[in-house]
Amino acid sequence: MSADTLDPLIHVPARLQIMATLATLPAGDALAFTRLQTMIGLTPGNLITHLRKLEDAGYLASEKTGNGPASRTSVALTHRGRAALGAYTETLRGLLNGL
Amino acid sequence: METQRRAERELDFHSPWLSLIAAVVALVAFGAVWLSVRGQHPYVGPTALGLIGLYLAVLVRIATVVYAHRRAKAGVSGRSVRQRRAEGAALVVALVAVYVFMGALAHVGASDAVVYGVYVGTATLIVLGTFWAAHCAAREDWSGLGVAMAIVLVAAGSAFAGPRGVWLSDGVGLCLVLLAYGAVQAWRLRTPHGTHVS
Repeated sequence: MSADTLDPLIHVPARLQIMATLATLPAGDALAFTRLQTMIGLTPGNLITHLRKLEDAGYLASEKTGNGPASRTSVALTHRGRAALGAYTETLRGLLNGL
Repeated sequence: METQRRAERELDFHSPWLSLIAAVVALVAFGAVWLSVRGQHPYVGPTALGLIGLYLAVLVRIATVVYAHRRAKAGVSGRSVRQRRAEGAALVVALVAVYVFMGALAHVGASDAVVYGVYVGTATLIVLGTFWAAHCAAREDWSGLGVAMAIVLVAAGSAFAGPRGVWLSDGVGLCLVLLAYGAVQAWRLRTPHGTHVS
């Protein structure tokens, strides 16, 4: 097992934080963008960039409700994202056990 | 994973402090009723003052839970929110049924000692404890399940203390169970137990 098998998309610290935070929610639940931002401590622009990358990979799903100032964006981990995070942590554990 | 553990804590409204408040509330609520009935011969049921103490304590408990819950679950939406609402509605119906049944007992001539003492002090806690147990079992929260089952057992056992003693037994028993739960929660916060990576 080598470091090459680690998913490079998740390996970025900010994206790993996002994935790990969303993984604490039960399947079928979503988290508001603003709450996620508060919990992770990223700037809105930075968070949006990382969320887009994860969403493009099919790891996240986002949903926008409402219009104008009352609009709200929620993000949730997809089954694929949950599986990818699981595989990532297993790989990492395997690598660390070799130390 | 530290991030995941921190997120779990932030999204979970349960805390040792909330359990400590619940323990004090249980002691005050049931203690107030016990103080109002302990000298009654024959037993007629809690006085207005005792009930005011009980309901004020219950209101404090509800307010603290609602505050903690709203704070922890802010921004969370989806299936678990819908499940909680459905559970809340079912709990309200079950509690109303407890008091409807109490009315029926009074209607058919059961004594005040049974209706306003043993029954109401026991049935309410059994319903609350059973609901909590089902809630915890569905989420595989084993420590919560243990506490909920302990509450049901405390309630059932307290019935043997009679119409006056049931209130004291419920209050002390519930207080001890909730204090133990708070201690377990505090211990868990200091150790990495329960941490999992999906």
